[in-house]
Amino acid sequence: MQSLLGQYKYVFQLQFFRNSGFYMFFALIQILIAIGIVIGFTYLMPEPDTSGVLFLATGAPTIILIITGLVILPQQIGTSKSDGYMEFMRTWPVKRYVILGADTSLWLIITIPGIVISSVIAHLVYSPGYDISWTVIPALLMIALTSIGVGYGFSYLLSPTASLGLSQVIVFGALMFSPVNFPMERLPEWLQTLHTVLPIYSMAEIMRASLAASTFSAGIGHYINLTIWCVLGYGGAAYILSKK
Amino acid sequence: MILDVRGVSKTFSGPNKTKTVASDNLSFQIRVGEIFGLLGHNGAGKTTLANQILGLVTPDQGDIDLLGKSVLQFPARSRDICSVQPQSQVPLGFLTPAQAVMLMGKMRAGKAFDPKRMEMLFEALDMGKWVNTEGMKLSGGARRLTAFCMAVIVPGKLVILDEPTNDVDPVRRRYLWDVIRGLTKDGTSVILVTHNVQEAEKAVDRVAILHQGRFLVQGTPAEVKQSVENLMRVEISAAGDPEAIGVPSWAVDSRRSGDRLLFSIDQSVVPLAVNWAREQAEAGAIIDYSLSPTTIEDVYVKLTSGKELNGHAELAGAV
Repeated sequence: MQSLLGQYKYVFQLQFFRNSGFYMFFALIQILIAIGIVIGFTYLMPEPDTSGVLFLATGAPTIILIITGLVILPQQIGTSKSDGYMEFMRTWPVKRYVILGADTSLWLIITIPGIVISSVIAHLVYSPGYDISWTVIPALLMIALTSIGVGYGFSYLLSPTASLGLSQVIVFGALMFSPVNFPMERLPEWLQTLHTVLPIYSMAEIMRASLAASTFSAGIGHYINLTIWCVLGYGGAAYILSKK
Repeated sequence: MILDVRGVSKTFSGPNKTKTVASDNLSFQIRVGEIFGLLGHNGAGKTTLANQILGLVTPDQGDIDLLGKSVLQFPARSRDICSVQPQSQVPLGFLTPAQAVMLMGKMRAGKAFDPKRMEMLFEALDMGKWVNTEGMKLSGGARRLTAFCMAVIVPGKLVILDEPTNDVDPVRRRYLWDVIRGLTKDGTSVILVTHNVQEAEKAVDRVAILHQGRFLVQGTPAEVKQSVENLMRVEISAAGDPEAIGVPSWAVDSRRSGDRLLFSIDQSVVPLAVNWAREQAEAGAIIDYSLSPTTIEDVYVKLTSGKELNGHAELAGAV
């Protein structure tokens, strides 16, 4: 067997070239979605003020990471389950977590253009008060890993149809019923309670605290919450991958 | 000895408490440099058996030794020793055959990967014009050949080929068999999973017929043929409706395959059969005819047709 690094390198290349066209397409879609959120959602506000726009501008990257990990990725997994590619990957002479790691890196990479470009555009158009802290790198990684990990977890555990259904609910819920693009206080109390357990609110808070450090801050509880979800997600995926 | 499978059984539970016996007390060995044919209907349990050897499915009972170590204890080692061409098409996406085969080769051999072998494979299979075409634009046959090359670019000690000739044109099928033969010269053993019995007969050293999870018979092609009565086979191509020709009284049994009629006959009536066929040909009822010894296909059809599980015990015992 190859060294782990060697395995990672070749699995990464194989997965990248196999999906290169799709990745390009997804990256483009995400740029459009992110810009759409920052600009389009201001139309919902009668008089968009700086604090409202800042919510949107710091919420868009979170939405991108949620859509990638919890919507696009489960759809891809569903496809590779039904067309036999998943079965084929299981025969490769590499450690299973190397495949998981290589795929995670690829998903992470395709979110970067959307996040960067939408933030630059939002800054140029609205100057909503970005104050980017060094924590943005670990925050981005943590949110992305949680989102991708949870996406892996449920799409490996559930049937392709069930995970497709769940991902539709998630994209709608994350956009309209989650405190990502607006403050938590606007939601009814039961949804607020739910969001203290679900990872979406914690993702949004951590992202905000990194992108506009002088306006927002995120408590340690959010980091703990995300870590738990991240471990649960990858744990579930690893369990299914090694199951016989 | 490369592989030693001893008493392997596997039952799958389906919906509504249905149970499918995919492997039923299977035992066999594979020697170094041997091509072992695993024949059987769709759903006979061939792929499940292959997956158990690869450590992807754990048997309920029995054990499998691969190069002297248990697959059950070291399942990951199996994937290192065996290389596989899966039964389903490998969805290549945007990968070209050259990229797919090269990366699979590097995944197995790392820096020791030899690009010359890839060129040799593409040339041997006459794949030159496709090597830089994206997989999604390739025909089924070209994709199948690519998956074959991915399995044999750096062959493990044991190569498992699941229906390698599906979708492949007749000319390239011959090239494919040559490459498979070539593998064994380097000491690689091959398990050939197929339902294409006619082709397999020419390629395999030993063969087993799997039916509803059990081996009906296993041995060299000659031994397997002897397991049914020592009959000859008459094959004719009908000029018109094959039904109109009728079954001659000296035929032990008959079956139809498209425009062809196949009779099994006893050795003693060979002159009768030849005379009859010549007369039919002169009368214009048949286009051509041939007389040959029993093939594995005959054995296969005889053993598997209409046999339900109850009948197996005596058959397996007789072999």
